[in-house]
Amino acid sequence: MSQRSLTAGGWWLHAIVLALVIIAELIGIRKISIGIGTVVFLPILYAFAMGIALNPYIFKKMAALIPPKAVKLSGTMITIAIMPFIAKFGTTVGPQIEEIIKAGPALILQEIGNLGTIFIAFPIAVFLLRMGRESIGATYSIDREPNLAVIADKFGLNSPEGAGAMGVYATGTLIGTFVFAIMPPLIHGLGWFDMRALAMSCGVGSGSMLAACTGSLVSIMPEQKDVILALAAASNILTYATGLYVGLFVALPLTEWLYKKCRPQDAAAR
Amino acid sequence: MSLNTANTSSAEQSLPLHGEDERKIDVARYSVLLLIVSIIGLVSNWVGTGTDPLTALPGMAILYIVSVAGLFLARFVPFYLPSVAWISLLAIVVTIPGIPGAEWVVAKVEALNFLALATPALAYGGLALTKGEFDIARKSGWKIVIVAICVMLGTYLGSAVIAEIMLRVSG
Repeated sequence: MSQRSLTAGGWWLHAIVLALVIIAELIGIRKISIGIGTVVFLPILYAFAMGIALNPYIFKKMAALIPPKAVKLSGTMITIAIMPFIAKFGTTVGPQIEEIIKAGPALILQEIGNLGTIFIAFPIAVFLLRMGRESIGATYSIDREPNLAVIADKFGLNSPEGAGAMGVYATGTLIGTFVFAIMPPLIHGLGWFDMRALAMSCGVGSGSMLAACTGSLVSIMPEQKDVILALAAASNILTYATGLYVGLFVALPLTEWLYKKCRPQDAAAR
Repeated sequence: MSLNTANTSSAEQSLPLHGEDERKIDVARYSVLLLIVSIIGLVSNWVGTGTDPLTALPGMAILYIVSVAGLFLARFVPFYLPSVAWISLLAIVVTIPGIPGAEWVVAKVEALNFLALATPALAYGGLALTKGEFDIARKSGWKIVIVAICVMLGTYLGSAVIAEIMLRVSG
């Protein structure tokens, strides 16, 4: 079974990926200066966009080359393809270990900053968009796989909370790379933040968001490449270690409590 | 696999909730797939940076070995850490100054551009999206898109603000 799924439709999948990668890398990094900062376009964005364009659920004829089984293999391949990238990222930490220890307190405490989603997204969901209990699942965390598992475990995915979490998960999957490539250089353009602060904030626990975030920062500050990569790598490892627990024991109870305060009737109705 | 309503069972099939159980992965199969990914990574690096695959090969071999070792640890160590965490830790350990060979490792992996290594993952990512994921995104509507952007902005800014304060306090 596993031997067959390695080859069944697999070779076409790998060949198409190879072609997309070559095209994306040929286009290369493009920077556009706009008034408030720089918008950075990265090869990962083109590769992802072309992948979606050729996705057999979008471009039906591709199903001949990429049957559902190969789509499933492609899902497995994401996990595998991100490994050498994560390994390369880790190797940037060792040489910068002194810089990282120096930034240690900031590195550790900024993990709590991931709760910032509750202070920005939660009020917008509840007060501006008048959303219901979906807000809890949608805004308690960045809703990547481990966070989604917490919601699935606690509420089930067919609950309102589950729908909110899945919506943000799916949207994040579709546009997260773009958002994390565009946002950091613009925030850097504000001039409020130390580049080390912007670098360590890139570690949100998603490989593609990490790549987009650090890629865009490095392309506007190439001379700081080593420090940016090392701090982002260290922060991302901390998020792997703490993200699930902060979500489960801090962020989710906090979001639920806030929701009860904001919508006493709804909470009582349950 | 038609998913009209996002009920629990079909949603779980289309979302990677259970694909993450690394206690059961087949390390041998993953090692073969990693080989394919490494070759694509070498080409990506070649086109992106101009470094030919032969020059980058030792560095790629190091990343491959670290990745496979991380898979092994995730699979067989009695307590659970995801393989990406093991891979990160191993990669850090082999590059800490003072560890035998650390300088050589750093010099060799220098030939590989980190962004070029991420490109294949994103290409697979675009092709891997399932009907379920498209449907959920479509069904959730514009409100969720706004909320999702605020979630990403909030997560990033929250961390940046705390990091900035801490860096200023500690100098």
